Amino acid sequence: MATDKVYWKGFDQLANSEVSQRMAQNEFATEIPMEQFLGDDKLMGNAQTSRRDFLKYLGFSTAAATLAACESPIVESIPYVVKPDSLTPGMPTYYASAYTDGQDFASVLVKTREGRPIKIEPGDEGRFNRGTNGRAQASVLSLYDSARLRQPVKAGVETDWSTIEGDLKEAVAASVTSGKQFVLVTGSVFSPSFKSLIASLRQNYNNFNHVEIDAVSSSEVLDVWEALTGARALPTVDFAGADLVVSFGEDFLNGSTAQQMSKAFADRRKPGQGMLRHIQVESNLSLSGANADKRIKIKPSEVGSALAYVYNKVSGSNLTVGALSAAVQSAMDTVSKELVAAKGRSIVMVGGNSGANAHLAAAVNAALGNLGTTLRVDQPIFIRSGNDRSLANTMADMKAGSVGTMVLVGANPAYVRPGFAEAMAKVDYSLSLTDRLDETASLCGAAAPVPHYLESWADFMPISTELAVSQPTIRPLFNSKPAIEVLGSLVGETKSAKDWVKATVAAKGLSWSQTLHDGGATVSASSSASASEAATRAMAGASEAAKTATKMQGGDFELALYQKTVGAGNQSNNPWLHELPDPISRAAWDNYITVSAKDALALGIVNETQSDGALNGSLVTLKAGDYTLENVPALIQPGQAQGTFGLAVGYGRTSAGRVADGLGVNAYALNLPQGSGVVSITVQEGEHEFASTQLGNTMMGRKIVNEVTLADYMADQSGQSWNEKPTFHTMDGTVSANDANLWTNHDHETMHMWNMSIDLNSCTGCGACVIACHLENNVPVVGKQEIRNFRDMHWLRIDRYYSSDMSKDRADEENLGGIDMYAAMEVPGESPDVVFQPVMCQHCNHAPCETVCPVGATVHSREGLNHMAYNRCIGTRYCANNCPYKVRRFNWFNYQKNERFTSVNPAQDDYGRMVLNPDVTVRSRGVMEKCTMCIQRIQYGKLEAKKAGEPLADGAFTTACAQACDTGAITFGDVNTAGSRVQVAKNDARSYHLLEEVGTQPSVFYQTKVRNRA
Amino acid sequence: MAHTEHTPVVRALYLDDDVVLDAVKNLRGKGIKVKEVYSPFPIHGLDKAMGLKETRIAMAAFMYGLIGLTVAILITSYMMNIDWPQNIGGKPSMTWGMNMPAFVPIMFELTVFFAAHLMVWTFMIINKLYPGAAPQNPDPRTTDHHFMIEVAAGEGVVDALKETGAIEIAEA
Amino acid sequence: MHYESNVREPLILGDKSYKDITVDVARPVETAAPKAWWIVFSISLVMFLWGVGCIMYTIGTGIGVWGLNKTVGWAWDITNFVWWVGIGHAGTLISAVLLLFRQKWRMAINRSAEAMTIFSVIQAGLFPLIHMGRIWMAYWVFPFPNQYGSLWVNFNSPLLWDVFAISTYLTVSTVFWYTGLIPDFAMIRDRAINPVQKHIYRILSFGWGGKAKAWQRFEEVSLVLAGLATPLVLSVHTIVSMDFATSIIPGWHTTIFPPYFVAGAIFSGFAMVQTLLLIVRKIFKMEDYITIQHIEMMNIVIMVTGSIVGVAYITELFIAWYSGVEYEQYAFLNRATGPYWWAYWSMMTCNVFSPQFMWFKKLRTNLIFTFLISIVVNIGMWFERFVIIVTSLHRDYLPSSWSMFSPTFVDIGIFIGTIGFFFVLFLLYARTFPVIAQAELKTILKSSGESQKKHHDPHGAH
Repeated sequence: MATDKVYWKGFDQLANSEVSQRMAQNEFATEIPMEQFLGDDKLMGNAQTSRRDFLKYLGFSTAAATLAACESPIVESIPYVVKPDSLTPGMPTYYASAYTDGQDFASVLVKTREGRPIKIEPGDEGRFNRGTNGRAQASVLSLYDSARLRQPVKAGVETDWSTIEGDLKEAVAASVTSGKQFVLVTGSVFSPSFKSLIASLRQNYNNFNHVEIDAVSSSEVLDVWEALTGARALPTVDFAGADLVVSFGEDFLNGSTAQQMSKAFADRRKPGQGMLRHIQVESNLSLSGANADKRIKIKPSEVGSALAYVYNKVSGSNLTVGALSAAVQSAMDTVSKELVAAKGRSIVMVGGNSGANAHLAAAVNAALGNLGTTLRVDQPIFIRSGNDRSLANTMADMKAGSVGTMVLVGANPAYVRPGFAEAMAKVDYSLSLTDRLDETASLCGAAAPVPHYLESWADFMPISTELAVSQPTIRPLFNSKPAIEVLGSLVGETKSAKDWVKATVAAKGLSWSQTLHDGGATVSASSSASASEAATRAMAGASEAAKTATKMQGGDFELALYQKTVGAGNQSNNPWLHELPDPISRAAWDNYITVSAKDALALGIVNETQSDGALNGSLVTLKAGDYTLENVPALIQPGQAQGTFGLAVGYGRTSAGRVADGLGVNAYALNLPQGSGVVSITVQEGEHEFASTQLGNTMMGRKIVNEVTLADYMADQSGQSWNEKPTFHTMDGTVSANDANLWTNHDHETMHMWNMSIDLNSCTGCGACVIACHLENNVPVVGKQEIRNFRDMHWLRIDRYYSSDMSKDRADEENLGGIDMYAAMEVPGESPDVVFQPVMCQHCNHAPCETVCPVGATVHSREGLNHMAYNRCIGTRYCANNCPYKVRRFNWFNYQKNERFTSVNPAQDDYGRMVLNPDVTVRSRGVMEKCTMCIQRIQYGKLEAKKAGEPLADGAFTTACAQACDTGAITFGDVNTAGSRVQVAKNDARSYHLLEEVGTQPSVFYQTKVRNRA
Repeated sequence: MAHTEHTPVVRALYLDDDVVLDAVKNLRGKGIKVKEVYSPFPIHGLDKAMGLKETRIAMAAFMYGLIGLTVAILITSYMMNIDWPQNIGGKPSMTWGMNMPAFVPIMFELTVFFAAHLMVWTFMIINKLYPGAAPQNPDPRTTDHHFMIEVAAGEGVVDALKETGAIEIAEA
Repeated sequence: MHYESNVREPLILGDKSYKDITVDVARPVETAAPKAWWIVFSISLVMFLWGVGCIMYTIGTGIGVWGLNKTVGWAWDITNFVWWVGIGHAGTLISAVLLLFRQKWRMAINRSAEAMTIFSVIQAGLFPLIHMGRIWMAYWVFPFPNQYGSLWVNFNSPLLWDVFAISTYLTVSTVFWYTGLIPDFAMIRDRAINPVQKHIYRILSFGWGGKAKAWQRFEEVSLVLAGLATPLVLSVHTIVSMDFATSIIPGWHTTIFPPYFVAGAIFSGFAMVQTLLLIVRKIFKMEDYITIQHIEMMNIVIMVTGSIVGVAYITELFIAWYSGVEYEQYAFLNRATGPYWWAYWSMMTCNVFSPQFMWFKKLRTNLIFTFLISIVVNIGMWFERFVIIVTSLHRDYLPSSWSMFSPTFVDIGIFIGTIGFFFVLFLLYARTFPVIAQAELKTILKSSGESQKKHHDPHGAH
């Protein structure tokens, strides 16, 4: 709507002044010189900023902004400009090498990926002590141990090698002038190169003195054999020619040559005519004892007398025999009978480090004519050569202050020998060539890093018939130098370690490349020892030894030291070794005294289960002579001889690294060089928290581990009577578990069908397979608390069951009710039979876990494998609940990040991470995981076959566990391949499925255990 | 109340459901068409008295149920047996028929799900009920304790209503 | 018009008119909350927040913060899940089944019962979610097309059946409940003075006007929904029980589970309704609508279902013995005499023995006693689930894997949290919703109202 209102712009307008008129005409007070500026080309031309410049600035600032915005991560990786022909990224490279950590020796293959060693595998057939025990398997992680010494250290400050070597020269010179000793302390030396170095040191310095120490000493035993054979070395045990082995406390399945021994042992234990019989006479329930056909409990102090008694029986002579308990005496009668029956085809072994016992054992063997047949002195083993007498002298000299210079190479006497640390105080100059600042190195004036065996050259002569060579598989991680080079400089030797090895190989007249390729070579046995002479000497000295043995006085309580998977303690800082539960007690991350139930009751030692199922136990104080050990946890151990305790060495480290330090107690502190002795015990205040992984110790009368005596086995080869399969009554009559089926089955006849056979007769329970699986599959380490919470992550576990005195039959006889029967069944017998059963995912063809997963994260493959798709898993844990074998493992935490696991899980350590297998995913938090039957290996094997263009050969590859097993208890393969080993095994009369009656149709089956008894 | 705009109506309020029921019968007897009855609760027999048709919503629900069942059969068979048949715990995934027993719960649940939800949706739509809709009752008291009969305005309607015992009569 | 005989107890006491019902029902909504309400509410809120904290901690750190282990993969989480689902059942049963059976006495309580159903199913729904190792992947349980192509859920899995059952149950009972609420919202809307309140109830009431045709359809819909909800409620706990029944774990693998779980669900559900109503009745002075008779009826149901559950327990034991399967036999022997005997026997006492008191009229009409029993029964039913889950798992086939379970503070905290959450929801409901289906109630006023009954001649018959 129109309006004639006028809006005044101001008073001026009212006055209609000219200003307002002008304003009305042009609204801009002063004109902006737009036209003038843009129009004038000249002005534009010589303007400082042209349009182009502007664009430049714009472009630059944009680019700058972009760059500033994203800070690109610095990746230090060097591409292979020229690819080494030995190396294809993604493909493993293997090196034959020799493993030694100062305690064990093994011929191994080192698997490397992109220049990183990631796995230790058994060496070639025919190499001495080929195969890998737990420590050998785990040793690859010790390479990546961030607790290793990285720089030479002088008086606690980092320095360089030249200073170290300079100081050493001066110190040696000084001690020469001052007439003081120059002492070299090492572990057992069986490296020819190093031996020759020592020889030349001895020539150059008349004040030179070399001392060898074994953490767990065999000094006296070696003395005995030196006296008998002239060579300070142990004889070779040859099971091949033996029908009976009687071991007096020698845990040969867990000893220095266990790989060799257990293989030979298992080979002779194949069920059938002439199966090797094994009697174990011991106080602690050892691994060997657990595998024995007959086990006799004895006190360590009685062993000597028992041997003397047996000697009298078998040789008809009458040595003085100390007091023997009636039980032991009658047992020895039968043992003697059996030995006599197996003259020349038997072996008597003795454990511990008692010269007398060793001599008597030798005498018994001699009397039985075993020397030279089953016990071979012509092939001495050099792995042990520690000498406690020379050590004692040296310690005396040290105290006297007559030692000027001391160099330690890979030896840690301050930890294993009480009193050594004090003695060191008077030494002028001490240098430790070590892998870490251990108990001894930290006391030394200087310490310098030596390379790990995977970083360096070395040669070994573990047995008179073999020269083994170990070669570097990775560039040294730290500023380390081989001891042989450091000491070499003292005798003006400038050879590199490699040249030393070369020289030795050449000296033996061997081809360098061939020896290197094979990781060693066989050399002509150079031992002149004669068995007959040894035998006569042994029998001659028997009476003398018997007298010494009788002097061995016993006590109410005797302690026998033993070794767990950690061994003597050289690799104590290796979490894999601690995570593996003890094969017998199933307790991890600890050492403790093992007590018999009766003693525990008498002493008031209690073990009780908490509301969460975890095990707590009393603490005790041990006294051996003037040596005391406090806060020792006590674990009640079935099969422990009454009046004896067992205690594992290798724990209670104080300066080994964050994993080992403060873990357990140091058994060496009790100073029992003989490996056993009389102790007094007092129960003290406080409780100890065990990390025990097994709560149910007996089979509760269920058919879990099927067992049969050799007699019954021979009587019925078909297995009908002792390996009865469950049957089901259906409308089509009585059918087997596999045929009792609601559905039409999926096809598993065509293509591959991966099956696994586990021979419970060969399995010794050592646990090497568990560690192999652990590192092959990047299984996280979860530490003590989580193990205690029953959250161990092992994909493969070895169940251990004790026999109980209660059985269903007995319950029937005594007509006990179910309640009482089962209550009694839970309690293991006092001297139980022990069985081991490795259990991993059984890859059921009717898998209960698969059906219940809501998202289909776990399904079955055409090849009979139970797949687990981590990425699809949402973590309902229903599968784990529904698994009758309880083999599924859940990622409760983010083990790669969560700070609770920083100290134990290598995957949280910059060095430790390098050990991860690039072929296997590291699982994230909240997903389920389990055994995959090493699918990465299966795929690799299939691809190799495909490339070669030929069908996959049986045994072309195998799983990590099967590979690690020395006794060949695990057989893996394609059951659809005619004549494959696993197919044969499947049709064996001994084979059965675990929990077959549940109808899960597993792809894994077990072979019945056969015990050689009537 | 758009529908009341064009044709004028007479609204009578009552206090008792029985009276309303009689009133409706009475009015229809007189040939007066009862347009609507508003009550705070369902009066049994009222629909017959008013001559309302039977509702067919139950039949609709049945149909919806069938749809649900079909959907269940389709997704289970497609996902488990057609698109990617897998070997899950050895169950026969070759054909839907063999695998079907495992799907019964799903089939049942989806049937109920579809029947219930679609029926309620239908109910809301045909009654023009939706969040924030304007109240359909002319007088707020009819959700409390009053009852209202709505008839088309005309001769004698008011008297007729009076007779039936209306307590209040309004023309709109 | 029919009147029922005077022999029947009146369901509505006092001299009530339609108006009175309206006023009584609207009162809680229109008046300020009593002090008691505030006390209970703030306590529940604190519990709820504590639970939230524990859930956050779990999601942030991992399921490892619970007491579970490799053998016992489920414990309190699924125990609570089943417990809450069970409680939920009563609501649907009361409104659906009793509606089908034309049980008029339900009308006073069905609204709250249904509310309880929904709130407890919400609690139940929490646990399947938070018990997942990777809750952020929870949506994978739904069959939706995805970038991986043919990647679908596993319809063979009882857990997936659960997903469908629980979500159907929750949504259907919600619409059932809401449909019933619409006329009552309309009533409050039409009474509301405060404009804000009026507006809110206007939205909630969907413009309901109580037209004759609308009422006709309304009744049909309620009937059909009831018809659907009845098999649904039975199916839900059947399917929940299949989580266990279809597994192979001794003590889980039991064909009796479906009926046994359903009976248990009704049992615990009615107990919980009892607990809540006794509180509501007191706080909101609803004695005239929720009468002793209602309480007694429900006590009778509790007694009967409790006995059914008892029979189920005994059947289990018998079948275990009769089956001759040693694993089965041991599982049940272990329940009663093993390390968790105390859980088993508290279950037995609470669920089988305590309801038997209800045989005595004196006891089942005693409010205090009823309240106590209702609590006891709920405790017992929690133990039932605990016994089934934990004692079956902790010792199954291979003794080497046997273990024990004990809860951490997080396990406990989350459980307490859900109880808090439940009461927070219920109390809010009680303040803002018509807690009694007044429209329905008005239909029975004449037939079952006390005063109305009096007015008819004593011979009653018409």
